[in-house]
Amino acid sequence: MTARPDTAASAPPPGPLGLPVGAAPDHRGSWIPSGAMIATRFMELRKRRGLMIALLAVTVGIPAVFLAIRLLLHGFAPKTYGPAGGYSVYSALVGGVLYVFGFIVAATLGVTAGSADLTEGMFRHLVVTGRSRLALYLARIPAGLAIIVPLVAAGFAIVCAVCVFAAPTQLAVNGVNVPAHLSRAGLESWAADHADEVICHFNFSIGPSSPIADVLNSVPCANGPGGGPAILQPPPGFQGPPQPSQAQTRKAATEIADMNYSDYARQFLYPSDSLMIRSGLWLELEAVIGFVVGLGLGSLIGQRTVPVIVMIVLEVVLTPILSRARIPHFSNLQRAVVGLATAHLTPGGLPVLGGGGGGPGGGGGNPGLLPESTTVAICVIAAWLVGWSVLGAWRMTTRDA
Amino acid sequence: MTATMLPGLSDTQASASQWAVETHGLIKSFGDNVAVNGVELLVPRGCAFGYLGPNGAGKTTLIRVLLGLTHADGGTMFMLGHPVPRHRDEALARVGAIVDEPRFHGHLSGRQNLQILAAAREPASRQRIGPSLERVGILPRADDKVSTYSMGMRQRLGVAACLIGNPDLLILDEPMNGLDPAGMQDMREMIRSFVAEGRTVMLSSHLLDEVERTCDAVAIVDRGRVVRQGPISELLAGTTLVLHVECSDPDRARALIAVTAIGGADGTEITPDPTGLAITLAAGTGREVIAEINRLLVEAGISVYRLSAHQASLESWFLQVTSRLGESP
Repeated sequence: MTARPDTAASAPPPGPLGLPVGAAPDHRGSWIPSGAMIATRFMELRKRRGLMIALLAVTVGIPAVFLAIRLLLHGFAPKTYGPAGGYSVYSALVGGVLYVFGFIVAATLGVTAGSADLTEGMFRHLVVTGRSRLALYLARIPAGLAIIVPLVAAGFAIVCAVCVFAAPTQLAVNGVNVPAHLSRAGLESWAADHADEVICHFNFSIGPSSPIADVLNSVPCANGPGGGPAILQPPPGFQGPPQPSQAQTRKAATEIADMNYSDYARQFLYPSDSLMIRSGLWLELEAVIGFVVGLGLGSLIGQRTVPVIVMIVLEVVLTPILSRARIPHFSNLQRAVVGLATAHLTPGGLPVLGGGGGGPGGGGGNPGLLPESTTVAICVIAAWLVGWSVLGAWRMTTRDA
Repeated sequence: MTATMLPGLSDTQASASQWAVETHGLIKSFGDNVAVNGVELLVPRGCAFGYLGPNGAGKTTLIRVLLGLTHADGGTMFMLGHPVPRHRDEALARVGAIVDEPRFHGHLSGRQNLQILAAAREPASRQRIGPSLERVGILPRADDKVSTYSMGMRQRLGVAACLIGNPDLLILDEPMNGLDPAGMQDMREMIRSFVAEGRTVMLSSHLLDEVERTCDAVAIVDRGRVVRQGPISELLAGTTLVLHVECSDPDRARALIAVTAIGGADGTEITPDPTGLAITLAAGTGREVIAEINRLLVEAGISVYRLSAHQASLESWFLQVTSRLGESP
């Protein structure tokens, strides 16, 4: 018999059982994945060039290209095209694009992680190593999240950066540019200095006996004061009502500004730090849910195409319908839809699922959504995460390799 | 299924077991189809063992059951003395296997695929990746994507995947598939070198000639059952010996031999042959009988131009014991 080379001179020599003498135990039967397993699984996913390009394109590319075009347009024709950033752009991109597409790409990554070993014939090689199948499954979770979480964060960071640094310098209130962050007194003062614009464009509601009614009717606006009917130009020689003094006009503008202050105060030039932090965490939560559910579904079904289609249909078709429809006797079942639960956790100030503002209280305050308490929403999300993980792990540990 | 220890065999004695693989009454069914039907298999340590059978005989199923790729419906089994599935992780720590066609992640290189497998094994296995790739001869292509590998290279990569665990037992399912003649020769030599290092190689194949040249012992499986097993030399010793005689007067030679003790012995059959005579001798006939026939003919004045003896090949024996003459193995 020739000496066994061990295929590596540096490896410890085999002991009586053939086990390397002095080798650290590898806990092969343990359900806890090793760091090396997670690292190699991360490598396996990261090396999927097509998938990575798709993930990048959706999470980073779409918002980056959209914002780049807006930046260019505003740079070349600032009077025609508004600033690239700002609160409205932020809310549209976060609440519309990143929320929906982040979930879909995370789910696609999860399905791939859950089914690739099976479809590519690697699963049996892994089983033959003697490593716990549960550990093989669990290694995919941190590996996949290490990809999707930074990607979503990168896309979100781009949106935040552009929306903050390329935000408009003035707010547009009823088509009138108004400085931001004014106090009530500040707005009134500004209104007094821009009385004609305020009277002609700001909304107001006054009775016919109001002391400023005559003043408002005397200001020549193209479409009438407050956006009302146009005042016809008087014929030559017509003696109309006496022209109000400048002091009267300023007083009327101040009163109108006071009426509009609450609307003005709700508008932002760019999202606040608090909103950005909450939005970022909310997007990451959505991505984590998409990945974990996709992983479980991919492992359960054992192939990629059908689970990806199911996840897209769930996110794009079923969730918007089930979140808003009032189906008698099925409301509790509808509340079990994870998309409704995450919609109820929408940070205040962002549009909620399917349109409509979230309002200061978040998605739960949106009357269009099926009512659900925050506690129930959290429980639903936890149940989806745990349930799909259990299903995927169970299938992986019981399926024939 | 219940995996119980053999009487008197404890875990600490596992390494002392003389069998690398041991199964008793192993059963695996797929619906009404019993793929593995009470298999009793004993694979000695330190040899190349062929597991032969026609297509659909249950070869791959048995391997899949042994390795835990699918569960058994009954019976007991041991690998390297460890009862499985109870101590499968301990057993598989010392086992390397290729089942069916070796498939890997095509978008990764051969080395990266082995890194994934090594990560699931003990830490020392990572140090064996390079040497394993070198040993199977694909080190120059180790960093190329597997999708660019030929079938033969994937087979070699499969063997390298086995070697990173420094296994005591290698289970190779049809390792010659897809190999060209030179590749088969290399694989044969590689298997022999593993055996020379003290490893056990259990290979399943339908290439009987390759098995005969590579293995020390075989088991023949047919319809889910092991019908014969043992060292090839012993198994073939029980087969008939055919002696071809080329001579100047075949008819007289036939009559002459027929009246001797050799011709009258049970199992002896003398038939005309295009070049002379074909004398089928009973199993266990000694080589001295050949010399005796030669002497008889020469003394009778018959010129003997050629005498050649042929032992039944593994292939012909295989077809006899599996009762599938005319079927492709």
